[in-house]
Amino acid sequence: MKKLFAIILAVAMVLSLGVFASAAGSELAGEYDVTVWAPKAAVDLTKQQIADFNESNEDGIIINATVEEVSEADAATNMITDVSAGADIYFFAQDQLSRLIQAGAVTKLGQGAATFVTENNSAGSVIAVKAGDDYYAYPLTDDNGYFMYYDKSVIPEEDVDSLEALVADCENANKSFSYELENAWYNAGFFFGVGCHSDWITDSDGNFIAIDDDFNSDNGLIAAKGIYKLVSSPCYVNSSQTDFASGSAVVVTGVWNYATILEQLGENFGVADLPSFEVDGESYHIGSYSGCKLLGVKPQEDPVKGAALNRLAQYLTGQECQTERAASPDDGGMGWGPSNKAAQEDPACSNPALVALAEQNAYAIPQPNIHGSWWDIAKVITTDIKASDGSDEALKAALQKYEDSISAVFEMTDEVRNAFTVIGTVAGTNWDTDLPMTADGDVWTSNDAFEMEAGTEFKCRQGKAWDVAYPAENFVVETAGTYHVQLDAVSGEVSLVPAE
Amino acid sequence: MEQKRHMGLKTLNRVSNTAIYILLIIISVVWLIPFVFILLQSFRVESTYQVGYVIPHEWGWQNYLNLWNSDFKRWYLNTFIIALASAVLITIIQLCMSYTLSRFRFKMRAGLMRFMLILGMFPGMLTMIILYRVLSDLGLTQANAVPGLILVGVASSGMGYYVSKGFFDTIPKSLDEAARVDGATRFQVLYKIILPLSKPIVIYTILTAFMGPWGDYVFARYVAFGTSAGYNVAVGMYSWLTNDQIARMYTTFCAGGVIVALPVTILFLCLQKYYVEGVTGGAVKG
Repeated sequence: MKKLFAIILAVAMVLSLGVFASAAGSELAGEYDVTVWAPKAAVDLTKQQIADFNESNEDGIIINATVEEVSEADAATNMITDVSAGADIYFFAQDQLSRLIQAGAVTKLGQGAATFVTENNSAGSVIAVKAGDDYYAYPLTDDNGYFMYYDKSVIPEEDVDSLEALVADCENANKSFSYELENAWYNAGFFFGVGCHSDWITDSDGNFIAIDDDFNSDNGLIAAKGIYKLVSSPCYVNSSQTDFASGSAVVVTGVWNYATILEQLGENFGVADLPSFEVDGESYHIGSYSGCKLLGVKPQEDPVKGAALNRLAQYLTGQECQTERAASPDDGGMGWGPSNKAAQEDPACSNPALVALAEQNAYAIPQPNIHGSWWDIAKVITTDIKASDGSDEALKAALQKYEDSISAVFEMTDEVRNAFTVIGTVAGTNWDTDLPMTADGDVWTSNDAFEMEAGTEFKCRQGKAWDVAYPAENFVVETAGTYHVQLDAVSGEVSLVPAE
Repeated sequence: MEQKRHMGLKTLNRVSNTAIYILLIIISVVWLIPFVFILLQSFRVESTYQVGYVIPHEWGWQNYLNLWNSDFKRWYLNTFIIALASAVLITIIQLCMSYTLSRFRFKMRAGLMRFMLILGMFPGMLTMIILYRVLSDLGLTQANAVPGLILVGVASSGMGYYVSKGFFDTIPKSLDEAARVDGATRFQVLYKIILPLSKPIVIYTILTAFMGPWGDYVFARYVAFGTSAGYNVAVGMYSWLTNDQIARMYTTFCAGGVIVALPVTILFLCLQKYYVEGVTGGAVKG
């Protein structure tokens, strides 16, 4: 009995020593039960990395982690189901950030954490975690983009830069060209390639305020012609799967399919950035979105736990862990392209697919926060282009329909809403196209000079709507000539200024 | 002349029969192709992604082994427990309910039936959010989703009394009365007289009660969100279909499909003749 007592005392002493020792480490010291959601491929590595964190951190933080398998694509849907029961730390794809902020499922980063993110990560990934002026998550990767895999036995090396040559090669070899253009994430690349933009504007709460978009423009028409070149070919297949096994010679997809495609093609494996297409003698390199996987931390009731979780998140998104994830599957990694700037320069973090992605990234737009409805509206552009006969009118109609759908859902920016445009039977249009004007004080002048016949009719309208439009009756051109249209927005007086 | 006409009719019969059979064969081939396809794909071991051919180049059990080594076992067990428990409880509750409504006369009986009819018209999905709250407060979500889902499935089952009540109504009341005169209790009447006479409808009730949870996705996903231990097969297997997974899990997914189809198929084959009687049984007025 005495012996037992002695043992108990001894144990108690050791335990109290342990408590003191860890308490001396930092105020964050302690054990925390944490649920982590990671995609299937990353589960084992994440467990290992958390164990490493427990050993290496100097604050005495011990994380008892339950790592559940939840795809980063489903994270927001699952979190929003019930935030209180959701994971404390989770991997998610960046397009879910707004939803997560609105649901109160991600913590706003403090000053120190925000600095950690902005200093260590690539510019694109920093944009991805920003809403308004605040930062909400930690970048894990900067590899969510797409580029081109091809079969070297069908596609000669010199053809990989030209969309037209690729299509011809596929047609001649009776092979398919897989490019999921009936998906806005992919078709938007054509528009970015010709210099168009589509930006959503959010406030600090993650609410969407407006969109600034010029897909329906002269440049947009060039992009539409490029899309038509591919979708009108019999070799076009709307897919981004690993289609080489089912008859494709070109597949546009991302790094997540690298290992499978390497296995499918063997020595015929080829990978490159996206090709260029030619319209009216000009060549345009197809653009793309580049995006990130992010790590979110759920807001905690206990601020100490919250701080400990942020430490863990910084460790998991730091250089060392990103390098481990970038390793090939044979070496225990996943081949994920790092967002950490130091890891990006590490040759150990590279493979042919990541090299192609990096080349494509020169033409890529960092994917900003995008309103959920946009994807469904913008994918229809391709469907309409595919159904059309490829004429300028038909393509313009497809773009106009897109713009109408967008403005029906969302208001354009103030800039677009306040701007005047010329609409009428001007420059080959027939009351279906708004021609831009630029303001100088209250005087608006059309950007282009138009050749006008006598009898040409037009109006100047504001915000592409008819609420404010001048003059009250259509302006009728009396003498044929080339004119700029000028409007005094105060008096509503419209006049023609002959072009030099 | 007469003879000739007779022959013509026979030929016509034969021609129309041939045409009908060809049509039926085409339809059944179309209907069967996906199943054969899944079965064949599940034995393909040379690759794990989608391919452009149907017959595997190399056959093997690897995909089934993969299933065995994944969380699939757990999901399958979950689904089986939910389906079995629901089948037993729902059948008991529904048959008791139908018997009561068919044989007993009590105040508000008609009112109650009408009330349940109206309640049944609301789509079950409407209750999803509040049900989730209730289950979550009871601690029956995520890892404990199995009892939660059984509770949800069983709780409203009394409202599905129509078909079996219709069938019970066709059994003459005089049988009950005779048994009662001989000293049987109400329960004995149900158990010894009514149920043996209503085998088809009992089987039908068991089958539908079993099949409901077997294919449930929406509610199961909602209740078990983010916790593999609480998934059923539909939710678990769907998690293999994400962009970065499908190239590695496609054939395993097919194998999972085959395994999931097995118990339902066996159940159907065994109980088929009752099932057909059951579906139409409640509609016959005796």
